[in-house]
Order: sequence, then C-alpha cells, then structure tokens
Amino acid sequence: MSAALRAGNSCRVTETTVILALVVITALGFDFTNGFHDTANAMATSIATKALRPRTAVALSGALNLAGAFLSVEVALTVTNAVVRIKNANGTPKASLTADGGEALLLIVLAVLVGGVVWNLLTWLLGLPSSSSHALFGGLIGATVAGLGWSGVNWNGDGSKLDGVIGKVILPAVLSPVIAAIVATAGTWLIYRVVRGVAQRFTDTGFRWGQIGSASLVSLAHGTNDAQKTMGVITLALIAAGDWHSTSSIPWWVKVACALSISLGTYLGGWRIIRTLGKGLVEIAPPQGMAAESSSAAVILASSHLGFALSTTHVATGSILGSGLGKPGALVRWRVAGRMATAWVITLPSAALVGAATWYLAHLVGGLAGAAVIVALLVAIAALMYGRSRRTPVDRTNVNDDWHETQREGV
Amino acid sequence: MSNLGFALEGAWKVLAAGLILGAGLPALFALGIRALAFGAGGDAEVNGGRPHRTGKVMAYALFAIVILGVLLGITFIVASGFGKTISFEHIVPTIVDK
Repeated sequence: MSAALRAGNSCRVTETTVILALVVITALGFDFTNGFHDTANAMATSIATKALRPRTAVALSGALNLAGAFLSVEVALTVTNAVVRIKNANGTPKASLTADGGEALLLIVLAVLVGGVVWNLLTWLLGLPSSSSHALFGGLIGATVAGLGWSGVNWNGDGSKLDGVIGKVILPAVLSPVIAAIVATAGTWLIYRVVRGVAQRFTDTGFRWGQIGSASLVSLAHGTNDAQKTMGVITLALIAAGDWHSTSSIPWWVKVACALSISLGTYLGGWRIIRTLGKGLVEIAPPQGMAAESSSAAVILASSHLGFALSTTHVATGSILGSGLGKPGALVRWRVAGRMATAWVITLPSAALVGAATWYLAHLVGGLAGAAVIVALLVAIAALMYGRSRRTPVDRTNVNDDWHETQREGV
Repeated sequence: MSNLGFALEGAWKVLAAGLILGAGLPALFALGIRALAFGAGGDAEVNGGRPHRTGKVMAYALFAIVILGVLLGITFIVASGFGKTISFEHIVPTIVDK
C-alpha cells in the first residue's frame, strides 16, 4: 500500500470517527428532549391535583425512568425495520450503505436526529404534547426518502402482518388516543358512581395515593420503552462505523449514557407541556387523575404485551381527555384538544421535511463539514428557541396557575 | 388481511385489557375507599354514619386485589426488559420466554 493511500485511509477513518461522535452526541440530545417532552405523560395529573409537589413529581419520574432504562436488556436494533429499508432482517445495516466506511448511513442517522430534536423543541416551546417517537420516525422517513429515494421507505408492509409506516405508525396513532379515552371515561364514570356519598375530603386523600402509584407505573414503562429507542439508534451508528459488531448486545456505556440522558431530561421537566396537559385540557380532580393514569398504564402495558406499539404521549393525552368526559359536568377545553390533534397530524410530515432538508444540506456540503454544519445549525436553532421560551417562562412555580384560554402559550 | 384489519384486531384486545385493568382496578380501588369511609363513619361520609368494623376489613381486601394488579404490571415491565413475557395460558400468570 502506498503511503499516500494509507494517509488517505487513515484520514477517512478519523473523519468517520468524528461524524460518529456527532451522531452519538446528537442522539443523547434527542434522548434528553424525549425525557422532558414526556414528563407530562406520567406526572401532569399528579402535579395538577397537588398529589405531589412539582419538584417531587419530576424527581420520582426521573428516578423511575432511570431504573426503567436499565431494566431493558433487549436490544431495539430492529426498531426502525418496520418503517425504512436501511437494514437487513437481523438489524445490521445494508452493505451498500456502509461501503464508504459508513459515512452514508451516519449522515442519514444524523439528519434523522436533527429533525427529531428540532420538532421536539418547537412543540415544547408551544406547550404541545407531541410524540417523540413520531418525531424520530418522521425524521427517519424524510432523511431516507432524501438519501435513498421513495422506495427506501416501507409504506404499507406486505400484507402479512401489521407493518410499514401505515401499520406501525399512522394507524396506532389514530386508534390509541381513542382507546385510552374510552378506558379513562369508563374508569372516571365508575369511580364517581362508586364514591357517591363519601365526603370529598376523604376521597381526595385516597385517590391522591392511587394517582401516585399509577403515575409511577407509567414512568417506569416509559423508561423501558423510550430509552431503548435511542440505544438502538446509537448502536446502529456504531455498527455502521465498524466500531461494534454484535447485534444482540449493546455497549455498556451506550446504556449508561442513554439512561442518564433520558432521566435527566425527565427531571428537568417540560413544564410548558405539563401545564397544558395538567391544567389546559381538563380541570382535573384526584379521582380523575387516578382514572387517567390507570388507563394510561393499562393501555401502554397491554399494547406492548400484544406487540401493538403505541406512543405514550397519544395514550396519556387520550386518557386525560377521557377523564374529563367521564365526570358529569367537568370542563373539557376542546380548543386545546384541537390544537393538540393538529400538532399530532403535522408531526410526522414536519419532522420528515426537517429530516430531508437537513440531509440535503449535509449532502451538499459533504462529509465531515456537512455533518458539522447541520449540528451547528441545530445548536443555533435550539439556542433561539430557548431564548424565545424565556420571554414567557413556565416552571414549577407557575405550572399550576389558572388557565386562561385567551392567553397565548409559548409564542 | 390488510393493515387496517390487523390494527383493529390488536385495538379491540388492547381495549378489552384496558377496560378490565385500567377501569376495573380503579373502580375496585374506589370501592375500597368507599368501604374505608363506611368503616370510619362520621365526617368521612356525607350522611355522617356510624363507624363499621366490616368496612375496614373489606377495604383492605379490595386494596390487596388492586396491589396484586399493580405488581402484575411491574412484573411485566421487568420481565419484558429481560426478553421474557407473562403468559396467561394457565390462568395463573407465569413468566415465559418471548
């Protein structure tokens, strides 16, 4: 081998390593936004009914997410297989994508993550509980179409099982809030029926305890499900770059980093989203809170038992809405519900657009410079959104203030 | 069968399990609270009835059932983390390989 060629090779290796490092850091950033975006799913109702003080609630949820993330021993490498065709059946990336030292695949993964983080931050700024999994899948679809063409995406499966974008992402998203709302409506109605004649002072204490228990289950389930997705993405990137070869295990540092990242995010608490879910959608009393969290826990666990993947966010929102429908005379703000539904519908295409645009930009600039440009752009956008959020800060001190529908949350 | 068929098939199962565990257990918990209030009497009830010992016993029995349900949920989360699942084939839940 000539000296020049060797130098060229080692240069490529270092370049890939730096892009890989950018992918890992951005993936951990996504995991972090995933954490604070979803604190509300488990804890919004407990904070709104004052079953837990805000700081205690986020600490409990963060700790349970950490425990949950360590509990997931299974590898979620095949998580993307149902949606895009970038990997073989066993979870290893396709050879054609790793031919150049893995750069082609790493750029797609990086664009996916940038798309996911941007969408998570924007919806957080607006106080809208949108699904982090949808943001990830949206980015994945967009970057794959941009990088590999329309045939790179598995749109409808082959009809032998629930598969493809429609079967694994769109249909569950339409059905899950409805299922959760029906269960929570039934639960709330039953609870109010059963405790008729018991003094409110007495029921409130009891149901606050029930609420803490059911919310804790939701947090634990969230840790096992969601941290695993990022672990799978990072491991995929490591395999693409040739730094990891096993498809049945993941490096321990990936597990530790992802677990810490999601639980830190959870502990930070996405107060804007907690406020919307806890105060904006429905005025919640402890019995409703317990019905909502029990419904969420049961629907999430039952669906993962049956292999019917649902978004925690869609389930939790449906449950809280149901707890408003089941209590006679309760206040449900349909305008807030409508805003959330709109956010859900546009999440997938928007994250796809961001993912595709990011991939084109990275591809245009090319190589390491391209990767660096899109990460720098992500940091700039994140800083801009954080700055914007400081104009109307929402934190643990004002998260439970009365909701005025005329106020413009976020922007 | 199309995707829609598979999705609806999964959806009704999730709905059934959700109604039993997600609405049934909270209703039992509510019954427990009601029994506890019946047991305490006085200002725990709107009509201010006398305390009854049976109320307390019933309440704790109901809470025990609810706690068993929650433990089942935790077992499922932990088991699926280790690549196992819970089988209800023999009525009594048992942990089996996925």
